[in-house]
Amino acid sequence: MELNINGIQHHVDVEPDTPLLWALRDDLAMTGTKYGCGLAQCGACTVLVDGQAVRSCVTPVEKVAGASITTIEAIEQDDLGKRVVAAWVKHQVPQCGYCQSGQVMAATSLLRQVPHPTDADIDAAMVNLCRCGTYNAIRAAIHDLASGSTDGGA
Amino acid sequence: MTNRLKKIFTVVIPASAVLAAGTAWFVTRFPASSFEKTGSQGEPSAQLVARGEYVSRLTDCVACHSVPGGAAYTGGLKMVTPMGAIFATNITPDRERGIGAYTLADFDRALRSGVAKDGHRLYPAMPYPSYAKLSDDDVKALYAYFMKGVPAVHLENRKSTIPWPLNMRWPLAFWNVVFAPSDVYRPDTSKDAQWNRGAYLVEGAGHCGACHTPRSLAFNEKGTDSRSAAFVSGALIDGWFAPSLRNDANTGLGRWSEDDVFRFLKTGRNDHAVVFGSMTEAFNNSTQFFSDDDLRAVAHYLKSLPGDGQRDGTPWQYEPTQTKALQPAGRQGIPGAQTYMAKCSFCHGADGRGQGQWVPPLAGAASSLVPDSSSSINVTLNGSGRVVAAGVPDSYRMPSYREQLSDGEIADVLTFIRSSWGNRQSPVMKPDVKKLREQTVPASSSPVILKTR
Amino acid sequence: MVNGLFDDASLMQQGPVNLSRRRFMLTSAGAFVLGFGLPARQARAQAAQGPKYRGTQVPAFLEIRPDNTVRLQSPFIEGGQGTFTAMAQIVGEELDADPSTFLVENAPAGDEYAVMDSGMRITGGSMSVRNGYPAMRRLGALGREMLLQAGAQHLGVPVSELTTQPGQVVHVASGRTVKYGELAHVAMDLPVPDPASVKLRDPSQFRWIGKSVKRLDIYEKSTGKVDYAIDVRVDGMLHAAVQHAPRLGMTVGSIRNEEQVRQMKGVHSVHRLPGAVAVVAERWWHARRGVEALLVNWVEAEPGVASDIRVMPADFSTEEFRKHLATVSGKEENAETKGDVTRGLKNAHTVVEATYFSQYVNHGQLEPPSALARYNPDGTLDVWLPNQAPDMFRADMARRTGMDAEKITIHSPLLGGFFGRHFLYDHGSPYPQAIALAKATGRPIKLIWTREEEFLRDALRPMAAVRFRAGLDTTGCPVALDVVSATEGATEGLGTKRGKDLDPTALEGLTNKAYDIPDRRIAQLFVRNPATLGYWRSVGNSMNDFLYETFLDELADKGRQDPYELRLHLLRDNRRLTTLLKAVADLSGGWKRGPFTAADGSRRARGIGMASPFGSEAAAIAEVSLENGRVRVHEVWEAIDPGKVVNPAIVEAQVNGAIALGLSQVLLEETVYENGMPRARNYDGYPILALNQMPRVHVKIVESGEKMGGVGEPPLPAIPPAVVNAVSTLTGRRIRSMPLSRHDFAS
Repeated sequence: MELNINGIQHHVDVEPDTPLLWALRDDLAMTGTKYGCGLAQCGACTVLVDGQAVRSCVTPVEKVAGASITTIEAIEQDDLGKRVVAAWVKHQVPQCGYCQSGQVMAATSLLRQVPHPTDADIDAAMVNLCRCGTYNAIRAAIHDLASGSTDGGA
Repeated sequence: MTNRLKKIFTVVIPASAVLAAGTAWFVTRFPASSFEKTGSQGEPSAQLVARGEYVSRLTDCVACHSVPGGAAYTGGLKMVTPMGAIFATNITPDRERGIGAYTLADFDRALRSGVAKDGHRLYPAMPYPSYAKLSDDDVKALYAYFMKGVPAVHLENRKSTIPWPLNMRWPLAFWNVVFAPSDVYRPDTSKDAQWNRGAYLVEGAGHCGACHTPRSLAFNEKGTDSRSAAFVSGALIDGWFAPSLRNDANTGLGRWSEDDVFRFLKTGRNDHAVVFGSMTEAFNNSTQFFSDDDLRAVAHYLKSLPGDGQRDGTPWQYEPTQTKALQPAGRQGIPGAQTYMAKCSFCHGADGRGQGQWVPPLAGAASSLVPDSSSSINVTLNGSGRVVAAGVPDSYRMPSYREQLSDGEIADVLTFIRSSWGNRQSPVMKPDVKKLREQTVPASSSPVILKTR
Repeated sequence: MVNGLFDDASLMQQGPVNLSRRRFMLTSAGAFVLGFGLPARQARAQAAQGPKYRGTQVPAFLEIRPDNTVRLQSPFIEGGQGTFTAMAQIVGEELDADPSTFLVENAPAGDEYAVMDSGMRITGGSMSVRNGYPAMRRLGALGREMLLQAGAQHLGVPVSELTTQPGQVVHVASGRTVKYGELAHVAMDLPVPDPASVKLRDPSQFRWIGKSVKRLDIYEKSTGKVDYAIDVRVDGMLHAAVQHAPRLGMTVGSIRNEEQVRQMKGVHSVHRLPGAVAVVAERWWHARRGVEALLVNWVEAEPGVASDIRVMPADFSTEEFRKHLATVSGKEENAETKGDVTRGLKNAHTVVEATYFSQYVNHGQLEPPSALARYNPDGTLDVWLPNQAPDMFRADMARRTGMDAEKITIHSPLLGGFFGRHFLYDHGSPYPQAIALAKATGRPIKLIWTREEEFLRDALRPMAAVRFRAGLDTTGCPVALDVVSATEGATEGLGTKRGKDLDPTALEGLTNKAYDIPDRRIAQLFVRNPATLGYWRSVGNSMNDFLYETFLDELADKGRQDPYELRLHLLRDNRRLTTLLKAVADLSGGWKRGPFTAADGSRRARGIGMASPFGSEAAAIAEVSLENGRVRVHEVWEAIDPGKVVNPAIVEAQVNGAIALGLSQVLLEETVYENGMPRARNYDGYPILALNQMPRVHVKIVESGEKMGGVGEPPLPAIPPAVVNAVSTLTGRRIRSMPLSRHDFAS
């Protein structure tokens, strides 16, 4: 199976129903994408497929062969992703950090669709779980990005 | 089984009770068995026992006669009725507590006529009206298997909790004479052998109609073979709507090829659907063990059953739901759309098309296109049991949302699904969700494989 | 230097020598390296102190690199609470090194890191900063002293002429400076000075302590660069997954399809473990699929045989257990008495009685438990695992393996959340299984529990039914309070035998309340739980302050008192808490109970809760409304007084986090058992708070200057009662149990 991840073509020898998450973690040693529930409930495994936030734990590799996959490892190669990371740092968002790879991906996807999200947009799109309760910091960072005051160099 | 029994109790028993006691000889008589004169056959061949084991997969005895964690075929499955509970029985060859003392004729009478060795009538939770079509050879093989292939277990049957006089079973004899077919399958000579094999499996051994055929007021199946348009045309049973197995484009197999049907029954999935609800058990324990030839025969036969355009409506065609409507801002204004995106879309896709054979589409799914929304409500509330194909549990399973979504939210999201991507069905109502919520429990996240040995 | 925090390759080049055994190349990329293991100088560290001073073996803690970065071995693990940054602030303040130049790691097991007053080393009880504060300041000061001495040698001037600036020794007279990095190789070989001799910096001169210093781990955590235990890999490693017996105490009878599973793609081997089966494979996904496919005949525990295991009964149900707790009678053991409660109740004008309930809850940390175990050719054992107490885990591993503890190295990667999950719970962690599998296969084994197995074996926050009886005087003020809690504490719940003394964690939050109620008795009615119990963020307070503070509002209503005024009255002689309560009321714009109509037209009300957990004080006000029959929390105001503060920004983040968990508990969470099994095995059946349920949060930090208290847990316990009290006001209904999702507000 051929997978295009972060602009690089990878060959993985896995069954077609293998979740993308485990192809990333076990076969490609890309462990920035996290396993949390395996049931599309928590979002820790969120990656971008053609720019859309998807949950890699419920995405069979067969489905994304040929698509353009972006993982947290390459988030800063993307201008918007780089800005999101900078905002995360500025607002000191993470606590334990385990869900944050997924949160950053989800925020990047949201901002790509809606450059100036409202609170309701953030409620609608940011459905990843955070057990540490960083939700208000996430909201603040996204609002900051929407208002354009955080640039990639922050 | 619950609904079937409920109707039997509420309709059949009062109607029957008025009949005179003079009919007692009738209701206690033993039906005939073709093995009446057959004496002991001696030790059955290993081949016959193996054949019997295969037939037991076709007939799915284990579905009711084993329970998770229990020994094989010792019974115990609880079936709740308004009058009380009944329990499936021990059918291991234990002489006292199982069926070890049954002769072949006794076994035959229970299997094909619904009469136990001591003469009491079985509740038609036991699908003897379908098993009546089994061939003598298959009955013989099954008997050999249950006598020699299944270990005897000295486990007592659980007593029914139905009180007297409702626990009297003799009125069922009348029901039987009216509704239960009493003859083995007769091949239709106008059809080929594959079709006839398929008919035998679907109408008889596989007793597909027990779930998929609608029932009349007396709770008999409205049709028992291919000549009836009602046969396997879809029915509500135990909180699941078993869809039509006829060539209905929307609510049946109209858009499926024979190969799709074959793959569905063999692997539990194809590009149209993945087994869920009660069908998961039928797949896990039964259909995947059919030989390829038998499954192809089933597919061939089912694809010969005409659909009913009147009932089924205009054939579904995919229509993209506007992407804009599913964007964060747009979906806040559409009831159910936000829930769909937050809870459903990661697996079933924003386009409703699922993920190949691994996660079923909701666009064009029979469950989205039947008027009865029970299956959709049930699977949303409770998730689905694990699909275990060739011994390996599925990679993806449907979660249970009863703890996350209110009745109103489930009604809204299902209404959204039933009106998106070309789906056009009636809205789902909150009280329907409430009712099923109270009547059902979440599916187990662990695979449930019943023991057969 | 934040960028370099996890850049292990760069560290390797300058890394310590003679420790190659502890360096492990990664299987895949090979470009970076894991696990430094022991700090370079640990072996040479001298025991320079008696029991009076802990944590003075400077070279064991500090390594200053030629590039002036400071590598600190923290006695406390980082799991999101900001401890590593706080440690860098505290040590850096006295060492005179900017915290941003620190690389902080969790120290290995070893007595030299047992810096707590108790002589133990755990990360928990909101202890790290308050308990580590004196030792870590002293450590920094001792390090600075050693650098000054090395500087004197280097510059050839008397120590007395030298001072420091961040990262360097300065000879003021000549203007010469020398960087710490140049002196460290000499300094760290010097004898550690007498701890009694070092002078600590005057707090008025603090540059970093008390400031909102940026956390050291944020960039790495925002870019997926942190390796949690679940991410660690070593050469030759195999993956494992387990399937546990459905109920604790059951054992493996037979496996019906072992051969078939062994033939599955990628499967290496199938194993029987105590109460579990395991599959080892080249990839975890294959291990998981294999282990789920195993058909196991589980054997019931024989009654009385497994006395060291809490055998889960086949018929256990939390609903029945709750009824049992509410009605059971037995010995009532007093934990706190004052005055004469019998007399107080007898003389009261009105007696109010009610029973309140708390539920089981799961930890639900996002990182599922895992462990990587590797036996080395020299007979030593390395184990990577999430843990809150390396020494306790190492001792347990030594006990299980029969090995000398010195031959076991514990590696403690950052925790993907903990909340009490990673203490030593029997049958609650994968490491014994990982070690057994490593032994059996002769290969390093990384075992990850699926979320489903985690929900099956998590240790639960206890349930309780608390019977309150209170007496009110003629003015409606509480004058007598009798409290009997039918429960088992988390600590006594760790084993199968009860200690001699009462477990303080059982009743904390019912005991130690500051309200002036003259006649009172707080007692425990011990009831053994079938479930394995554990510590959950804020432990006993997580439920007991809810139980107490909501009953207090019930009393206020019965006595026709305003709950805010009543609390002020009962705290009239307690200046610290009066200040705090007024502070939270001010923060909310003045106490306003409601119900009132908000600007958006919704009907709302506010409620108060207070708590005195873990050496700190907290008071919270919550504002709620009902939306489609569900409680919505709009605003939370919380004032916290931890005495003194090291990093206000981290405190505020912790308050936010504790509020989120407190809300999650009161709104959503309950672990339900039926037929001896948890009904939920994943987040689908056990929802936790999501972003759209998070209210606006307003935090006021009050620094009373009292003894430093904890921060991670104390903001939680006041939240559930504040919310429930608001809901009771809004709906006019008395609510005596959590979570609110079990109450129907639609009608």
